[in-house]
Amino acid sequence: MLETTGIDATKSGTQEVLRVDGASVRYGAATILDGVDLTLNRGEFVCVIGPSGSGKTTFLRLLAGLVAPAEGRVLFRGAEHRAPSREIAIVFQDYANALLPWRDAEGNVSLALEAAGVPRAERAGRIRALLSKVGLAGSEKKFPSEMSGGMQQRLQIARCLAQEPDVLLMDEPFGALDAMTRQKLQDELLGIVRDSNVTAFFVTHDLEEAIYLSDRIVALEPDPGQVCRVFDVTLPKPRNQLSTREMPEFLRLRRELFDFIERFEP
Amino acid sequence: MRHLHRGLWFMASLALLVALIWGWQVLADARILPRAFFPGPDRTWRALSRGFASGTLVADTLTTLRRLGLGWVLASLLGVGLGALVGTSKWAQDWVAPIFEVLRPLPASAIAPVLLLFLGLTDSMILTLIAFGALWPMLLTTVHGFSNIHPRRKEVARSLGMGRGAFIAKIALPGALPDIMGGLRLGLTVALILVVVGEMITVQGGLGARILLAARAFNAAEIFAGVALLGVIGLVTNALLGLVETRALRWQRR
Repeated sequence: MLETTGIDATKSGTQEVLRVDGASVRYGAATILDGVDLTLNRGEFVCVIGPSGSGKTTFLRLLAGLVAPAEGRVLFRGAEHRAPSREIAIVFQDYANALLPWRDAEGNVSLALEAAGVPRAERAGRIRALLSKVGLAGSEKKFPSEMSGGMQQRLQIARCLAQEPDVLLMDEPFGALDAMTRQKLQDELLGIVRDSNVTAFFVTHDLEEAIYLSDRIVALEPDPGQVCRVFDVTLPKPRNQLSTREMPEFLRLRRELFDFIERFEP
Repeated sequence: MRHLHRGLWFMASLALLVALIWGWQVLADARILPRAFFPGPDRTWRALSRGFASGTLVADTLTTLRRLGLGWVLASLLGVGLGALVGTSKWAQDWVAPIFEVLRPLPASAIAPVLLLFLGLTDSMILTLIAFGALWPMLLTTVHGFSNIHPRRKEVARSLGMGRGAFIAKIALPGALPDIMGGLRLGLTVALILVVVGEMITVQGGLGARILLAARAFNAAEIFAGVALLGVIGLVTNALLGLVETRALRWQRR
């Protein structure tokens, strides 16, 4: 039976997952985010850009439930959301701190399954599937210290996917990686998001990365952090590192975003 | 190459030990000190083998080892447990930690007569004495280890929906283990001191009591035998703990 009251989200095709309504975040007297609005729909890939000090990371932490809004509210699947939830996974930039160095790759993924109360017998199979999904098949017994930065970030993504999240929040996850690894991970991430139909919220300061990944780009302005503009990215999918980046639409967006960000450069 | 290097150093320290024992023998033979107070290694060794042959020394050694082990485990459980409580709870930090600051500087040996009043000349008295004295290094290193946990790990635990128990068992304790292992070692040293003190006070068997009785009988060789045996116990238990530490922290060397 279809619900007759309220919005029938499944029929319209844009199912709202997370919504921010006029949310402000303050640390003491400082206002970091001021009256921010945003709606994230199922399966959507949204990137956040903005000059430093515009509250990108705070925005992510607000969606994660790691900070509570002083004003306004955050709704997750229609209900107010003020604490972290297993359905919202966070990929941190500093993978070395986010992973547990005393657990091998399997053990690190297992942490999420243990926390979710998955029975021991089921874990091994799911861990193997998750590790091969992020390209870490064969590295099950490696410890984080034996892995490259790219592999460690893959491992963190695998642990986040083990949460079977509705939303994947990522805070400059590829910021510390070299260009080649970065491009490879971008393509893998797009595949993972498409296949698992999660909603991705991705903070970056790399404008081209934002265009390449996004369905929508949210541009923040600083002092205090506010949503300044939202850019729709209509580039065809699947994206390709060479041809997508050569398209006139890509170049047009690139210029627009650079012009936007340049206003805030001293 | 590195193994050879370490082997050479081991041989060198062994040679030094032999030289020291030989020097001890020479000093004893020279009769600078009265033979009654200062037995050489030969007489100490005879006292040891006599004691082992009669079985009394074995029994006393086992008694001391049992008390040392139980007391140390008790201290470890209390120290790490309380440390985890204080390290993860704001409430405990405000209310419990100041009490520790009052109790900690008290010399454990000064507590012994108090314990004697309450517990009498019993094993419980010795174990309580060890637990009281040896728990501090474990408690302080656990608190220190917990306070050094990276805030990101706490956020990971929150986003995975882990409870406090799971956080302590799976993130905080393993993360603090390098610190805690140091505390366990220090605690072992303190426990060895206090087991001897406790046995000297209660005189209910054990090497401590044996040394005290030997002193009262002016039996210097027996005293030296007991002290030598305690030295060996300290050395061996510390080495065993070192092996455990190497195994538990092998992820650190990868």
